Amino acid sequence: MGTVRRYDLCFAWMDALAIDARNRRFELLAMPHLDAAFNLARWLTGNTADAEDVVQDAYLRAFRYLDTFRGENFRVWLLTIVRNSFLDWLKDNRSGRQLFQPAPADLEWTDPNPSPEALLLDRVDSETLSALVAQLPAEYREVLILREIEDLSYKDIASVTGIPSGTVMSRLSRARLALRKAWISNEKRP
Amino acid sequence: MNHDRAKHLLYAYADRQIGIMRRFFLRRHVTGCPSCLAELETIQATRSALRTNLPMHRAPPALAARIASALPREMAPPIPRQRLHFGFAGGSLAGGLAGVALTLAVTRVVPPADPLVADVVADHVRSMMADHLTDVPTSDQHTVKPWLSARLDLSPVVKDFVAEGYPLIGGRLDYVDGHRAAAIVYRRDKHVINLFAFVANDRSDAPLRLDTRDGFNVVRWRTGGLSYVAVSDVEAAQLLAFVHLVESG
Repeated sequence: MGTVRRYDLCFAWMDALAIDARNRRFELLAMPHLDAAFNLARWLTGNTADAEDVVQDAYLRAFRYLDTFRGENFRVWLLTIVRNSFLDWLKDNRSGRQLFQPAPADLEWTDPNPSPEALLLDRVDSETLSALVAQLPAEYREVLILREIEDLSYKDIASVTGIPSGTVMSRLSRARLALRKAWISNEKRP
Repeated sequence: MNHDRAKHLLYAYADRQIGIMRRFFLRRHVTGCPSCLAELETIQATRSALRTNLPMHRAPPALAARIASALPREMAPPIPRQRLHFGFAGGSLAGGLAGVALTLAVTRVVPPADPLVADVVADHVRSMMADHLTDVPTSDQHTVKPWLSARLDLSPVVKDFVAEGYPLIGGRLDYVDGHRAAAIVYRRDKHVINLFAFVANDRSDAPLRLDTRDGFNVVRWRTGGLSYVAVSDVEAAQLLAFVHLVESG
């Protein structure tokens, strides 16, 4: 019957409209946060090519699950997905190597020698600092990047990394302490 | 607050991530404890070193295009067809059905939103994407303010808050909610803050109001006959601190 064909045509058109609207909504929501997504992936993977793959994978996932986004902070939601994509990438590419290491036990809560050296850290150049951060365990690196570059609150870092807020607090202080230690031993090296 | 507890909270204190009561008691302990005070100074030095010197890696220009072309075009969200059978039962024309389809598609995908918030967030995003952040790129408030006043017939607060960590980047002309607006551009660490000022139809004073949309925070208020809207992806507390500076400036 003619009616049936017209009916199908209408649904095809409706689908086309909906797809278009969905793509546009996704672009409006997600594209402004591309730098944030790339920055996190770049710091986690350590190089541009892998970071691009991770971000692309994350964006495709975000697009697929767009309808499940209910929160109010899209950047936090997206960064959570970037982090998950990174973990999967890690499984596929470095099955032999464990990047997320347990926190080194020797790190005390406080600086064992809070000395003037530690204060010099604010004169360190950006290249040296990058190298020091890049050598930290990934679990330290991610909280540092989310806090110091992305400027997320402890609560938002907790939702991206899936750890409790209290742990975010202690992990951040351990991360900064580890960085300070690395910096001091870097300085002492002849 | 005892010493161990205070020491444990020093980082969170430096990050301004503890509540006002704990802040108060911690500050009281720190002022009387040389070891905590020294530790706090070291923490602040580390923190500011990271914020100033840790590079932000920006996405390569080709990545956006690569992602856009990889997005599936065939994956439609499920559309509640059963409800449409109903409308079609009367043998209505294709045109009528298309109308229903359009309404459905639109109501499904567009979240309800305050048009002003959506508008300023779009302006903010555009200002950074189109590489057109400023028309007068200068941190000199005595250049930005007259430049804007000469073009807009309004005199917004323009002040460099570099000492407070919000340096002035410049100004530009923009368009908000149907009004010509001054956009005064600031930076907070790696983040841009756009402060819009314009004369709205309603000139009565209005208190601060914070909205969040798509990962951006938007604070608006009205004072002295001018409407102000600050937009950024810095966290709400920092944006509000900035707004307080503007308000008291």
